[in-house]
Amino acid sequence: MKANKKISKKAIVRLIILGGLLLGLAIADICTPDRLFSAYENRVLASKPKFSIKTLLNGSYTEEYETYVTDQFVARDNWIFIKTVTDLALGKKEVNGVYLAKDGTLIEKHASGDIDAKTVEKRLLLLKKLTDWWENRAADVQTDKNGTLQIMLVPTADNIYTDKLPGNAPYYSQTEFIGAVSKTIDDKYVINITDTLISHKSEYIYYGTDHHWTTLGAYYGYLEWAEKMSMTPVSYNTSVVSENFFGTLHSKTNLVVKPDTIEAYKPEQNADIKVYYDFSEEYKDSLYEDKHLETKNQYGYFLDDNHSFVRIERENPSPESEGKSLFVIKDSYANCLIPFLTEHYETIYVLDLRYYKGSLFSMLETYDTEGNMDILVLYNVIHFIEEFQYY
Amino acid sequence: MVFSTVLFLFRFLPLFFICYFLAPKRMRNLILFFGSLIFYAWGEPVYVVLMLFSTLSDYIHGLLIEKFKDKPAAKAFLTSSIIINLGLLGFFKYSGLGLPLPIGISFYTFQTMSYTIDVYRGEVKAQHNLLDFGVFVAMFPQLIAGPIVKYKTIADELQDRHATWDDMAAGAARFTVGLGKKVLLANNIGLLFTEISNVGKEQLTMTMAWMGILAYAFQIYFDFSGYSDMAIGLGRILGFHFPENFNYPYRAVSITDFWRRWHMTLSSWFKEYVYIPLGGNRRGLKRQLVNILIVWSLTGVWHGAGWNFLLWGMWFAFFLIMEKLFLGKLLSKAPKVVGWIYAMLVVLFGWCFFSLEQPDKIALFLKAMLGLGEASFISTETLYMFSNYWILFIVLGIGALAVKKSEKEKSFGWTMLENLFLAAVLLLSIANIVDASYNPFLYFRF
Repeated sequence: MKANKKISKKAIVRLIILGGLLLGLAIADICTPDRLFSAYENRVLASKPKFSIKTLLNGSYTEEYETYVTDQFVARDNWIFIKTVTDLALGKKEVNGVYLAKDGTLIEKHASGDIDAKTVEKRLLLLKKLTDWWENRAADVQTDKNGTLQIMLVPTADNIYTDKLPGNAPYYSQTEFIGAVSKTIDDKYVINITDTLISHKSEYIYYGTDHHWTTLGAYYGYLEWAEKMSMTPVSYNTSVVSENFFGTLHSKTNLVVKPDTIEAYKPEQNADIKVYYDFSEEYKDSLYEDKHLETKNQYGYFLDDNHSFVRIERENPSPESEGKSLFVIKDSYANCLIPFLTEHYETIYVLDLRYYKGSLFSMLETYDTEGNMDILVLYNVIHFIEEFQYY
Repeated sequence: MVFSTVLFLFRFLPLFFICYFLAPKRMRNLILFFGSLIFYAWGEPVYVVLMLFSTLSDYIHGLLIEKFKDKPAAKAFLTSSIIINLGLLGFFKYSGLGLPLPIGISFYTFQTMSYTIDVYRGEVKAQHNLLDFGVFVAMFPQLIAGPIVKYKTIADELQDRHATWDDMAAGAARFTVGLGKKVLLANNIGLLFTEISNVGKEQLTMTMAWMGILAYAFQIYFDFSGYSDMAIGLGRILGFHFPENFNYPYRAVSITDFWRRWHMTLSSWFKEYVYIPLGGNRRGLKRQLVNILIVWSLTGVWHGAGWNFLLWGMWFAFFLIMEKLFLGKLLSKAPKVVGWIYAMLVVLFGWCFFSLEQPDKIALFLKAMLGLGEASFISTETLYMFSNYWILFIVLGIGALAVKKSEKEKSFGWTMLENLFLAAVLLLSIANIVDASYNPFLYFRF
């Protein structure tokens, strides 16, 4: 009898612990009010679905309800954090497709398995079509045309900061892709900055919490461009605009990491800029938008994040740049490099092809009737392979 | 509904247990039945009708078989019951009409067949209470993924059962362990298998293929046995004693041994209702070997409609027959480790057929495992994968081979240590379940 009682005591303790955990969390969960938005995940969380017989029978009600309960579960962010920590404790070298670099920074992973050979082929064909158009146009225009076409494809951090990657970590070799580009089109169109970036790999040329390159990295790209264009580059005249930037890679992993510092090119006498976004009549007098520094997406500071089309005018261009124009076809990597380019042109057009469904060539011809406009295609290699598309 | 979800753990389960244990005993089957219907209908709002039909059909068949006991009509009703059950299973699982498979149909049709067959054989009395019979078929703990509980095993407990505090504590612990096996172990090693099974033929090195199939072996074992543990644990809390489904299958020293340890309730079902009625081993060696071939072909096909499952079943039949003929004797003379290595090789190659499904994938893996693939022996990718998973592999190895259940009386301190472990497993499982829905929106992706 006595032994029995003793066993029961142990059983009751166990039931209280396990049952208490479940019941306690269930009650806490039910009592916690729903959240609309998760800053941790940067998205709107699912809300309670509306009930109807139709949605019940086709299964969508129960499915949405399940998403709702999971999204709104008590202390959701903490659970996700615990899971990440246990992954690290189990020796995982990456979280959600992000490498944990040896120096405590984050580097986005691009495995060769994610890159499809057919897509690569398609991008190369599109590039070839662009240079062919350029050559034919040179013949058409017949004037003393002196515009240039340049293509700069920037390797991502995993190809440059290779020493920092976890041991044996695989990465898609972007040098190979850039090599294939050089084989497809004439070298005079290509600015290859891989070696330059590798020679600066000990410097802060990519953010540690974001997938972009830093303004310094962009500056090294700019120097290569200037050399190719036989222009005199401006010096690296920047100021720090943020010291608490936690970028996309931080959002993906939510690990405790050192924040990034954002610098921006700010020459003292550069006060004559007019920036027109998306064909608007109104202009901003800066290349930078402070409001983004208050949000999670601080990289949006450069050229007000993503716009389909931007026109940048210099009120008082230098004598060398007077009347000159540049057309940039780009991804967000260009946003922190373009400020340097404003020193060399009176007008810069910036086109983000993702938002433009019209004909690229007719647009280029509209802005450049005489064949004097320079064109720069500027992407990081991965975005270029994934997204470069025009009609 | 699935056990490893927030909805089940923090809505259904607490609500169900509160209703169940607060209700007077005579109401409990009613609560269990309707709770189970909600549980099932949550994911299958239409097919729940099918399950109810199956329940009603076999309830009536049971009564009729009993009524016409020892008359030809009884046999006719048994035949009709089997035809209806196999007809349902055949129509939804094997007709190839592209219908979604009703959850648990392979399990509940087998359970209800065991009922009508046993009533016919006179091993159990027919159940006259429709509710009690409904509880047998629909009971949520084992409805979706087994164990396959024969009616006679729990016939008494359907009417009268009592869960002691010890039962309930043991059940709660068993459930927690099962949840951890599924969520912490199976799901996480499953990521590696998925990754490797999608690697191109140029990248699939020999070592990577072995690592992949080993990952799958652990995934399916911890997934399936974890689910069984959860079912057995929940049953125990309610006062049921379900049969065990796994007994350290990866400790098997022959294929005969493996099938005594793997999905035991399915093997025992086939043994009792197919193998022995076919004559088992009582009609000579030739007949026995044919019976083995039949039973394991059926076992294979039971797992799915694809030809690969048939092949998987026959793969085992081949080795079982070899063991009956000569291999068994040979193995019993050899050191145990030889038998173990042989059994594990057969099982691992078998998982290729089971897991990869498409013929070209299976061929790719088999070639790579045999060192005949296009890729080399090892690569940096392989090493990188290994560096991410070796700790988990050690945990899995210990869990599958070394942890022993002990029935000895434990000290209070030891049980508190166990409680700490169980609480940690539960909390980490919740973290994994919630994390599975982690979905950061990267508006600044580009």
